[in-house]
Amino acid sequence: MIETWYGIVSFMLIAYVVLDGRNFGAGMLHWLVARTPEERRQVVAAIGPLWSWHEVWLVGFGGTLLAVFPRLMASAFAGYYLALFLILWCLLLRGMALEVGGHINDRLWQGFWDFVFVVSSFLLAILFGAAAGNLARGVPLDAHGNFSMAFFTDFKVRGNVGLLDWYTVSIAIFTVVILAAHGATYLMLKTEGPVRDRSESYAKWLWTATGPLLVIVSVQTWFIRSDLIRHGIQNLVSWVGMIVVIVSAFALAIGLRNRQEMRAFVGSNFLIVGLLATGAATIFPVMLYSTLAPENSLTAYAVASNKSGLVIATIWWPVAFILAASYFVIISRQYTGKVSVRRDTQGYY
Amino acid sequence: MNSLLYDPAFWSRLQFGFTLTYHYLFPQLTMGLAWFLVYWKWRALRTGEEKYNEAARFWAKIFGLNFAVGVVTGIPMEFQFGTNWADFSRFAGGVIGQTLAMEGMFAFFLESAFIGALIWGEKRLGPRNHFLAAVAVALGSWLSGYFILVTNAFMQHPVGYLIAPDGSLGISSISAYLLNPWAFVQFIHNQTAAVVTGSFVITALGAFYTLRGIHPTAARLYLRAGTIVGLIASLLVAFPTGDEQAKMVGNHQPVTLAAMEGKFVGGPMAGVAMIGQPNIQEQRLDNPIEIPGALSFLAYGTLQSYVHGLDEYPQDSWPDAIELLYYSFHLMITLGTIFILIMIYANFERWRGRLDSNRGLLWVLMLAFPFPYIANTLGWMTTELGRQPWSIYGLFRTRDGYSKVVSNGDTIFTLIGFTGLYFVLGLLFLYLVGREIAHGPHEEVATSLGKEASL
Repeated sequence: MIETWYGIVSFMLIAYVVLDGRNFGAGMLHWLVARTPEERRQVVAAIGPLWSWHEVWLVGFGGTLLAVFPRLMASAFAGYYLALFLILWCLLLRGMALEVGGHINDRLWQGFWDFVFVVSSFLLAILFGAAAGNLARGVPLDAHGNFSMAFFTDFKVRGNVGLLDWYTVSIAIFTVVILAAHGATYLMLKTEGPVRDRSESYAKWLWTATGPLLVIVSVQTWFIRSDLIRHGIQNLVSWVGMIVVIVSAFALAIGLRNRQEMRAFVGSNFLIVGLLATGAATIFPVMLYSTLAPENSLTAYAVASNKSGLVIATIWWPVAFILAASYFVIISRQYTGKVSVRRDTQGYY
Repeated sequence: MNSLLYDPAFWSRLQFGFTLTYHYLFPQLTMGLAWFLVYWKWRALRTGEEKYNEAARFWAKIFGLNFAVGVVTGIPMEFQFGTNWADFSRFAGGVIGQTLAMEGMFAFFLESAFIGALIWGEKRLGPRNHFLAAVAVALGSWLSGYFILVTNAFMQHPVGYLIAPDGSLGISSISAYLLNPWAFVQFIHNQTAAVVTGSFVITALGAFYTLRGIHPTAARLYLRAGTIVGLIASLLVAFPTGDEQAKMVGNHQPVTLAAMEGKFVGGPMAGVAMIGQPNIQEQRLDNPIEIPGALSFLAYGTLQSYVHGLDEYPQDSWPDAIELLYYSFHLMITLGTIFILIMIYANFERWRGRLDSNRGLLWVLMLAFPFPYIANTLGWMTTELGRQPWSIYGLFRTRDGYSKVVSNGDTIFTLIGFTGLYFVLGLLFLYLVGREIAHGPHEEVATSLGKEASL
């Protein structure tokens, strides 16, 4: 039961990262792939009407985490206090930039919101990346399952760590690159003309950089948590995740070379899903690792809520998921194909 | 160091209260407007009259702006349970997390999937599907309200729970939890109050356009819809929903009722204070003007009914902001009564065919729209302050719930951040809504870029 819920909660977070990750990527590349105001509207229209639907995955994840693993949410969210509020504020600014940027046809207005969009997308990718790095490296959990963490301490990875150190910064850089690559692949699919062509060259370039970076962060992970790598090798789901990564990487490479945009984009999505699933399976059952003493680590079994709640959630969650998926099918059929700025504009008049 | 300003629970309460109060300014209008949009889309579908489509299109834009601000200010609410109220989440997360997760999964997915289609998809969807998109958005927004109110109702009147061996809360009966009688009454009361806000806003814009002598067709439509629905909703907020709500407080939280009414001493023939200032030191109401027996009658059905006073309860079970609670409750009721009077007069004038020409009334209607927002806020302050000192009534005290690892420095920093960000957000929102209002409801074919392209 707890294993299933660990899987569902991981799935919701992974779905959020894959869905909103394309928007972060598009945001980070916004100034690079789109040079004129019209081109920039094209990028915003490509994200346009579905960003709030993507963000709901984060809301759903938060609620489900509270219901199923309340003690984890309490420890982790209070411990990551400032970082989490930075994420919330960046999400707020990013959402406003997308919603109101197109309302007024004025260079200054749009230029300002484009700036907000780019900066908040970068910060979000960095913050989520650093958070992922923290999950692997661990946090200074005490014997009561509490921690409070500064943004940085001495940049070392053991003992009284901060949010940022050389390892989590490496993961953050890797996240920026892979999400930018993901966003570029999405923009290739959704846009036309110069924006598409620039996105294509960025996608090729960024995906090429992802390979060596993945090797580097894997070696780093082996260096600071060799137990994780050993654990991953014994875990069947980790293997499945790695196979998904390899197959997706091939699909992506072929798609990029043959200008098959849909194949490349599907490959890009599953590559990230595979990576995150491998990570989630590898750290299980520990959800939050303690850098102070391994026995302080919080496992899924220790933080789960009691059984009646899990059983109840097991009944309603699949129903809600099927409904949500069906809305998505209905709605995404409205938005297939390339965006047209005239048709998909977010401007009000 | 024992000052309130060094108390971590105080700063986390202030931040939660501020961000929640601000957030709820936006959903109350979306919930209040949602069924107007459905109605106008339905009328347009049935009659084919363009004015209904125009109204739906225009208010969908206002709805969209409110929805966007509601989304971005809503996400911090859920996360603050973990960041600022970690010990509360450890204790109650297994219960309240269920409905928060359901809100996301059942309601918010529905609403956010179809909001884009409602605002921008009219041409692509065709009239029938566009009407259905409006229904989906309205259902989503009201369902969202229901799940949040079930969560709140559990904190007011916990039902269907069990206490697990480790001391945390679990659910023993999901149906009891979801069908909490408190949630039912609170839902109807809250939703009709949201409709009051919606109808006052619509009426205000109709009055504004009429006074200016512009957009006469739209203005007449708004005035008519706003005043009819406004009267019905204002009446329903007071009776039976507000009445039932107060009775429920009287039955389950008598100490809260005593504090709301400033009843320091219990007794039969308890009056309702029209005027009076609670004086906690002296434990009395200063300068009271009371309607004798009214409280006994309203809360328990007869003039002779015994109403409990604060003196019957230990001080540590009193709500900790009695003055604020008392004023919130009384001002809410005063405003609610004024809304009924305004709407009765407006409907009387409409019946006599003078609604468009009675300039005094139109001025009142135009300027009245902020007050339902205030009344809704006061209602929530009554609810939340009245429950104190408990987070979950009788089970868990608020001051035990905050995150012990978060320093006041962190909380004050984020509170300052929210204040600044929300101030800018508010200016932006007002500016954009003002622009839509100045532009008016008439369809303009060209989009911002379309204009440029056609030049």
